[in-house]
Amino acid sequence: MKLAIDETRCKGCNLCTKICPYKIFKEGKKPNRKGTVVPELDRPERCTNCRLRNLYGRQLCGVCQLTCPDQAIHWTEEEPYELHKVAIEY
Amino acid sequence: MSYEDWFRQDRLPHIYCAGCGNGTIINCTLAAVDEMGWKKEETIFVSGIGCSSRAPGYILTDSLHTTHGRALAFATGVKMANPDLHVVVFTGDGDLAAIGGNHFIHACRRNIDLTVVCMNNQIYGMTGGQGSPTTPKGCLSSTTPYGCTEIPFDLCELATAAGANYVSRWTSYHVKELEKAVKVGLETPGFSFIEALVQCPTAFGRRNKFRQVTDHVEYLKVHSLLKAKRDRMLEAGEKIPEDMYVVGELTKRSRPAMGVKP
Repeated sequence: MKLAIDETRCKGCNLCTKICPYKIFKEGKKPNRKGTVVPELDRPERCTNCRLRNLYGRQLCGVCQLTCPDQAIHWTEEEPYELHKVAIEY
Repeated sequence: MSYEDWFRQDRLPHIYCAGCGNGTIINCTLAAVDEMGWKKEETIFVSGIGCSSRAPGYILTDSLHTTHGRALAFATGVKMANPDLHVVVFTGDGDLAAIGGNHFIHACRRNIDLTVVCMNNQIYGMTGGQGSPTTPKGCLSSTTPYGCTEIPFDLCELATAAGANYVSRWTSYHVKELEKAVKVGLETPGFSFIEALVQCPTAFGRRNKFRQVTDHVEYLKVHSLLKAKRDRMLEAGEKIPEDMYVVGELTKRSRPAMGVKP
């Protein structure tokens, strides 16, 4: 699973930066097109739900999603890793 | 299926201010409703007037947006007309305690099978930050510019005294606990009252030295006292600080309820 912030919904209240136990959300620096400073993700692969959701088959933690007043935080399914053909140049 | 399916995606993002806690409470309530496994056609959300009462407009089910303070009166009508429906009432502190106080105590007395989620932001947020019956002593608002001098209402004690079956209080910081409390309230036959203290950055925080949203949430976190700890402190004879909010499951009993099928 992959953590994602919906920039069209986020209003930049920075509540997620306070409540995440892993401190994955960091205060953003640049305002986006709407003028909202959307938080940045700091190594989101540490998130419990991202790592173990599919293994356990249920929602884990999820405090950021529940707390976000603007329903901007969600998880998206990642595509399974595919083998790529790599051309090796000698 | 998750609680996100209960939102009207075309209406989002909602009009609440940045950092308003009402969105959090909607999330928790919908998560609890989703866990109950109810159908969308059999669930009704009722609300009055105010910031908090805009919530059913963002929810996919049938809803009633009623007159100021009378959400409980309309909800009683809905429940009596069709007892098969599951009725959840969203209300605010000004809506429930000030204008609808009379309906509130009588809904508690009748013990109707409703679940009431009160988003208590301790101020009239939508109309410009006037002091409400739950504004704490000493807090500034546009009608109390030198600090509120009145004693605030304790809505949970009021509901307990009036006869509600289930009463609990949490804050917008305690999302998981709030979700569980709402779920217990939905399961309990009879009147369930869940008070959720929320931050209001625009009307309350701006005047009361909570410049950042996170400051106010931190305040709610620090100033909440668990009921078990309160009981321990009372046993030990310690004095409970006046500015603490007692959180937790305050009342759970089984008085005969109205609107429940035998």
